[in-house]
Amino acid sequence: MQYKDGRELKMKRVSNKQTGLIFFPAFDWAISPTHPEREERLLYTRDQIFEEGIMDLPQIIEFAPKLATVHDVARVHFCVPRVKDQTTEAHLIAAGAAILLAEQIVAGNILNGFALVRPPGHHAMRVVHGNRGFCNINNEAIMIEKLRSRYGINRIAVVDTDVHHGDGTQDIFWHDPDVLFISFHQDGRTLYPGTGFTYELGGPKAFARTINIPLPPGTTDESLMYVVDNLIVPVLKDFKPDFIVNSAGQDNHYTDPLGSMRITAQGYARLTEKLKPDIAVLEGGYAIETALPYVNMAIILALAGLDYSEVREPDYWPGRFKESPERKAQVQRLVEELLKYWEMRDKASPDPKSVNGRFYQRKRRIFYDTDYIEEIQFESLKLCDDCPGYLSIDSTANHGYGRTGKVLCLSVPFKACSVCRAEAAETYERSKKDRDYQYVYLQDKAADTFLGYEVSTGQEWFSNG
Amino acid sequence: MYVGVDVGGTYTDAVLVENGRVRATAKVPTGKDLLEPILKAMDIILKDVDKKNIKRVVFSTTMITNLIAEKKYDRVALLLIPGPGLSHKYYELGTDAHILSGSIDYRGREIVPLKRSEIESALADLAAKGYKKVGVVGKFSPRNNSHERQVATIISEKYPYWQVETGSRIGSRLNFPRRAVTAYLTCATRERYSYFVESVRQALKKREIKADVFILKADGGTLPLKSSEEMPVETIFSGPAASTLGVQALTPPGETAVVVDIGGTTTDLALILSGKPLLSAKGARVEGQLTQVRTLAVKSIPVGGDSLLKCTGAGLTICPERMGPAYCLGGPAPTPTDALRALGMTELGDLEKAREAMTLLGKDAGMNGSDVAGKVINLVVEKIANEIDRMFLEWEQEPAYRVWEVLQKQKVRPSVVVGVGGGAPGFIAGVAEKLGCRPVIPSYAPVANAIGAAVAKPTMQVSLRADTEQGYYIIQEEGIKEKIDRRSFNEQTALDVARDMLVRKALKYGLEVAPEEIEVTHQEVFNMFRDWTTKGKLIEVIVQTARGIMCSIRTGGN
Repeated sequence: MQYKDGRELKMKRVSNKQTGLIFFPAFDWAISPTHPEREERLLYTRDQIFEEGIMDLPQIIEFAPKLATVHDVARVHFCVPRVKDQTTEAHLIAAGAAILLAEQIVAGNILNGFALVRPPGHHAMRVVHGNRGFCNINNEAIMIEKLRSRYGINRIAVVDTDVHHGDGTQDIFWHDPDVLFISFHQDGRTLYPGTGFTYELGGPKAFARTINIPLPPGTTDESLMYVVDNLIVPVLKDFKPDFIVNSAGQDNHYTDPLGSMRITAQGYARLTEKLKPDIAVLEGGYAIETALPYVNMAIILALAGLDYSEVREPDYWPGRFKESPERKAQVQRLVEELLKYWEMRDKASPDPKSVNGRFYQRKRRIFYDTDYIEEIQFESLKLCDDCPGYLSIDSTANHGYGRTGKVLCLSVPFKACSVCRAEAAETYERSKKDRDYQYVYLQDKAADTFLGYEVSTGQEWFSNG
Repeated sequence: MYVGVDVGGTYTDAVLVENGRVRATAKVPTGKDLLEPILKAMDIILKDVDKKNIKRVVFSTTMITNLIAEKKYDRVALLLIPGPGLSHKYYELGTDAHILSGSIDYRGREIVPLKRSEIESALADLAAKGYKKVGVVGKFSPRNNSHERQVATIISEKYPYWQVETGSRIGSRLNFPRRAVTAYLTCATRERYSYFVESVRQALKKREIKADVFILKADGGTLPLKSSEEMPVETIFSGPAASTLGVQALTPPGETAVVVDIGGTTTDLALILSGKPLLSAKGARVEGQLTQVRTLAVKSIPVGGDSLLKCTGAGLTICPERMGPAYCLGGPAPTPTDALRALGMTELGDLEKAREAMTLLGKDAGMNGSDVAGKVINLVVEKIANEIDRMFLEWEQEPAYRVWEVLQKQKVRPSVVVGVGGGAPGFIAGVAEKLGCRPVIPSYAPVANAIGAAVAKPTMQVSLRADTEQGYYIIQEEGIKEKIDRRSFNEQTALDVARDMLVRKALKYGLEVAPEEIEVTHQEVFNMFRDWTTKGKLIEVIVQTARGIMCSIRTGGN
């Protein structure tokens, strides 16, 4: 790996390094008093890890969070109309915490890290009109793009272990061949957000860089370990990422009120031990009393290489859950199917029905469950032979009450060729005059700049890293 | 009139403060017997004073620190009830510890009951090994101490003469390993400390002083002598707390200052942020183990006037060890004190000897004596200034758990550097310049510790935790558990109960506290929702009498 200026970047893996923790429970922030994403969520986790004296262990080092910048957010998201309209300070702190830990890891100061933060982020997509699945901005994506732009880290793997499909993260990296996104979750036919099926495999330039593992409700530790051992770990080995991120949702736990899975704290610990993520970032998990204190403890201990065998939920006994033979067989078939797709990576060509001239196009509807917004997107990717191609998204959001907004979002990838960069800039300038749009945006990751334009007032804003 | 007595390892200092002025000071060597120097120092400052006018006497002491360092106490065993969680192999308690079954969860609910037979056999084992002192500590005992009490009851039935300390009496903050260490140390030091307290009492009686007597704690508050016997460990590190409070009294109120106490072997640093001494985020560290003792954030660095200087291939270095006094005072090797003397920055010691030391040092480095002396001073100044910078950075890095805490953490830098201790006059100006601050060496710097003790305010604390779903509140330090009305009990009731309890507790120790002076140091309310409906509230409040100093010391015009 190399820095942008050519210096060699060495990521040391010395075992005597510590596991970094940022614990940011946001005890003064909530979506609403009765919402699962509320102040109380990490209270019992705090009680458990403080009482255990985890922060005093020589293997652990605790950091104070800091805020992500508006540009850090704009590097990833098109927040409509602006970043400040879609984020509170709590959001910036959660994303900033992930960045801070990741930077410590890249600098070689710590072995790995866990950002135990609220609010979560993995349902936040590239375009943000409001809150989806308790998320406004995507903490992991913001951290990843910061690492890539600032430290020149290229290949990144994200393993999403939340019970809900990580549709936001999937969306953001859908066309990115250098980011492998693996998500296991409870089958989308039975749970929000209703996506994450095996046929969702990534854009034409990044085929099989998205891998979805929809597990049947009731899956236990046993089947999960089968998936990890036979699919996730082998795929990670093939991909050879420079940095592994775990979107650590904890709602696969057998007591979670939203999910219907049967994973235990021990299961989560073994999962963590096998994935060996550089960083874990907390996502969902709403069994705040019965699961979070134990699962979080188990993950921290596993990351730090400490013995987690005595972490146990009050109502758990070994052998409490037995996998049914049907589920076992079902999961094995799933793994086989996905391994086949993985073998075909780099060999598939885009569906001709989706190609229009030199552009790959798709139309999507996105529903914002928390804010009740319906968004319609026309996405179009330039099929370039020299680079991953620039992306344009024409997005209309219906907020109800007759309020709609139409915006154009242009995104230029890190490895864009000069032709694509120029073309995107040209489109941006041209679209500024299009009265159809309320806002037009140009995000140029290669130059690390962001431009926004309000058509009605002619006001333009700019930020760079 | 206030009397402050600092019983240090080398000197016992005493001061008499009246109406914000220092009326008398004393400095006598501390011997093996602590009482003799205390009496001597008091006699000096109380000459011509009507003892009836003395309102209070406050002691700071290194007695417990030394006891622990020298391991002069009986062996203590531990009975632990950790339940599931972190593997027990990570507890490094350095003594016989039995792990008992049983567990309590974070809301104080019993998950697994105790096993009597197991407890009895553990006790039999400890008895066979000759233990007579036992600490009993359970995980989450601040939330429910019934397991600890059950074990203590069994011990008092079977071994009535044993000394038993339970973890829930130690403190209300959550941290099981720290609580275990603190219970251990409390058990270990109580007897000896009581002896010390008794001797202090007798000394005061001999001199017919009837004023209230207090002991300074590590966090800069004071405890009535009587109640300090319950918490002897709280007095550990009261020395640095005393000097910090002393500086606070000697500098203008509201300033952000660094306290630099430059001694012979070490330099102690402390921070005063906007007029308030900074508390450490973690508990006091004793023999490498963290405790639940609240303490001011103090840092000791191994650089002092008597540090050994060496010239190696890499250049001039300051070694952490002390070989003896400075060369100019008859010591064996060159020291920073020699450099100060050679440059005429102190009058201490023999000038010729100091110059000789610098020439000797310079020979290896290929420099002349005065150049080397300058370089030595720079090195010391740089080391101290760097550590101060690091201390501020560490403070900025301390965790924050709420949005407003993160937002209000601005960069704070000191405006003054206050020097106390023997080495201060030579180095403080340089340190202040490096940090862009004003140097201050207050009058009475040599007895700043005793001044700090004299002006320290008495502090008492009550922490209340209510769980309205389960329908009770607890006040751990007092061992109180009361039923409450689930619907009417709220945050305000919790505060009222805690304040009332504090006033009564203070009165028990002869302190009159006005309810409006009570500070709320911690206030937390969480609504508990289960299945979309409010099931209750978790309310936690900690109230204490105001921490700080009784008065500033006017130094002008003296």
